[in-house]
Amino acid sequence: MSRPEEATESKENAEFRREVRAWIAANRPSDPGFKLPQSFLEVESDRQFEFLRDWQRKVYEAGYLGLDWPAEYGGHADPHKRQRIVSQELNRAGAPFLVNVIGLQWAGPTILAYGTEEQKQRFLKPILSGEEIWCQGFSEPGAGSDLASLQTSATPSGDGWVVAGHKVWTTLAHVAKWMILLARTDPAAHKYAGISYFLFPMEAPGVTVQPLVKMTGEGGFNQVIFDAAPMPKDALLGQLGQGWQIAMTTLTFERGAAEGSGGGSTAPTGESVRAVTSLARRMRRDGRSAAEDPVLRDRIAQGWIDEEALRLTAQRARVPGLNMDDRPLATRLMNKLVYSEFGQRITELACEVLGPDAGLWLGDASAPDKAEWPRMYMNSFGMTVGGGTSEIQRNIIGERVLGLPKTK
Amino acid sequence: MRLDVPTDFGFTEEHALLRGEARRFLGERLPMATLRRMLDAGHRFDHGLWKEIAELGWLGLVLPERFGGAGLGWLHLEILMEEMGRRLVPGPFLGSLLAGIALEQAGSESQQAQWLPAIAAGERVATLALVESGGGFDADTLTASADPVDGGYVLRGRKTHVVGGADASLVVAAFREPSGHTALFAIELPTSGVSIEDEVSIDPTRPTARIGFDGVRVGPEARLDGPGGAALAATQVRGCAALAAEQVGGAESVLLLVRDYAIDRKQFDRPIGFFQAVKHPIVDMMCGVELARSLACGAAAALDAGSPAAEVHARMAKALAGDVYASAVRKGVQIHGGYGFTWDCDVHFYFRRALWSRPMLGDAIHHRRHLATLLLDAD
Ligand SMILES: Cc1cc2nc3c(=O)[nH]c(=O)nc-3n(C[C@H](O)[C@H](O)[C@H](O)COP(=O)(O)OP(=O)(O)OC[C@H]3O[C@@H](n4cnc5c(N)ncnc54)[C@H](O)[C@@H]3O)c2cc1C
Repeated sequence: MSRPEEATESKENAEFRREVRAWIAANRPSDPGFKLPQSFLEVESDRQFEFLRDWQRKVYEAGYLGLDWPAEYGGHADPHKRQRIVSQELNRAGAPFLVNVIGLQWAGPTILAYGTEEQKQRFLKPILSGEEIWCQGFSEPGAGSDLASLQTSATPSGDGWVVAGHKVWTTLAHVAKWMILLARTDPAAHKYAGISYFLFPMEAPGVTVQPLVKMTGEGGFNQVIFDAAPMPKDALLGQLGQGWQIAMTTLTFERGAAEGSGGGSTAPTGESVRAVTSLARRMRRDGRSAAEDPVLRDRIAQGWIDEEALRLTAQRARVPGLNMDDRPLATRLMNKLVYSEFGQRITELACEVLGPDAGLWLGDASAPDKAEWPRMYMNSFGMTVGGGTSEIQRNIIGERVLGLPKTK
Repeated sequence: MRLDVPTDFGFTEEHALLRGEARRFLGERLPMATLRRMLDAGHRFDHGLWKEIAELGWLGLVLPERFGGAGLGWLHLEILMEEMGRRLVPGPFLGSLLAGIALEQAGSESQQAQWLPAIAAGERVATLALVESGGGFDADTLTASADPVDGGYVLRGRKTHVVGGADASLVVAAFREPSGHTALFAIELPTSGVSIEDEVSIDPTRPTARIGFDGVRVGPEARLDGPGGAALAATQVRGCAALAAEQVGGAESVLLLVRDYAIDRKQFDRPIGFFQAVKHPIVDMMCGVELARSLACGAAAALDAGSPAAEVHARMAKALAGDVYASAVRKGVQIHGGYGFTWDCDVHFYFRRALWSRPMLGDAIHHRRHLATLLLDAD
């Protein structure tokens, strides 16, 4: 079965898509022979990291990153906004992911929106090339869903600031050179007004990064402890006390509710259900192909419906006339919720398709697809929890899109 | 098979105009109070409304211009059906729509010229008779028969759930011929040997009938020229896309009713929408409506583009929209509490429509079975 979109896009875009596809086929790295992370959330070893960073650099040098970013900051100012096509093709080819996700998708667009000219000149290009990796220091042990209750402080000191506090679940902190950091700068001010947004250098003294182990047994996130860690004056992004507002912008990018990424987005392309279909054809159940089991067929057909509905919703979000005029943001703000919940359903379904082999784990020589499916199902919770849980997404949509009364 | 849908769904200003016109007209002409008055008076068919709809060009929206139609596309119909679904427009519209599509798919030029202009003008109410008791929506379950006799045909069988059957003066019906193939016949009503019996429809805005063909003699011209099986399949694909859009519109209305109620109604000194056990299901309802709308628009755009995957999209749309509508009315009643359980609360009208339309032209179980064949077995 071949792919959507191609037949209906403009000649230039179709041409570009073919070019990207050919480039990926010719340049994608071969299997390194060691376990690769499934996403940027699970990068643990140096060799995994170096392998992935090399790949990002290669994609960047080929001119396929920062397409939608201004040329003066290392981008290409592509008039057709074709970063999306690159990420679709990378996704479909099953190419390794771009490791600097937090830089490309969250920090970069935020710096573009709020940074000074110097900050844009300084930070954006190394984000695209992968030379400088970014992490996100928002969550704390006592501040998760209720992010605004964060306690990490930044206090003026000499010509700059010192940071004290404790961040947690910090993905990629162990390889990051920079952190987007939320810290309290005015303890007396209202909860939301006292927060500022910083671009923090991870090499500063007084910073300790301690790895945490995930439910899959993998690493990838950390806790970060700041013990009077200094940062310069110009680490501040935007205005003092503007941190909450800027953080909301970052989260809008993180949740796929706004376009502007330097490396594309993660909108579904129909790949997951295709993969589950192919798995069902390979697996056997009750003496026949699992793809012949009537109940599984029904469930997989539902997967096709769901993934196509997501794909077409992303497409429809770009046609204003086909969005409800009284809630234009609906199709964007619901992205994070519906993608991550779908990802969970479809990987759980894959585990059911596996039958007893769903009980085999990484390292078992005969596990179908090297036990990637149960691993993916477990990792899917990273998506329904991270970036604001599904429950918090429902609060946001209910309040901001439907106008329901606020839950604190 | 490629799942192609044009990037912009083929949306134009023209579509926006149609939406504005339909929303305005139906908003003024069919507020819930008017609909209730019609139903209370036992009027299942409002001739005035029918005439106005005909004048707006809606009855021939997708029929060719040379036969009196507006010659517009399937995305136009998607938009119109959403708006009509929102207002629960009563009457035999759906039957006329399906009959018109079937005639266009299977009729010769002269058969189309004979029937379509009157359908588009609203002078003739038409309907499609397909389902049989115990049968389904696949042509291979048909048992009604058409046997050639003396240069014409004898028709036998019983059709059920015929939309607007008792108001129709033309029925397009599916029969099996001795060869085993399906053929479509256009039969003017009343005709001797054809019995029409009102069903008691759960949805008073959508009356249905049982039609019996007890050895009905028809001439050769009654048999539509084209291959009946293919025409019927094409009609069902288009019908599914249209009905899915109507379901999306209905679910949208329920969403808005529930949202407003959750803001208005106070318990424990707060609007009930404050409670997440109320808020979150409403959000899930909205997500469902938006996802189903994307498939309905996708199916329409695929039909407009002549994509061979239109069948896949139409089946997906009908399956999801039917489930989404059903789930919306379920939550719709519950969230309105005791009031939701009353005749006074408008939700039950949508509940009825949702229950009625979910199985019509195939429910989600039916379409997923077909989708599995199309997507799991093919490559
Ligand atoms: C894989 C992964 C990677 C992450 N990476 C990063 C990162 O790089 N940087 C970073 O800053 N953070 C990161 N996070 C943290 C993430 O943003 C938080 O875990 C998340 O916001 C939830 O906070 P919490 O863990 O404190 O859970 P809690 O807020 O304690 O929530 C626990 C449960 O209560 C529910 N709940 C809480 N409040 C409400 C409410 N008001 N209404 C309804 N339900 C509620 C939640 O939905 C959840 O089910 C990551 C998390 C994961 C899982």
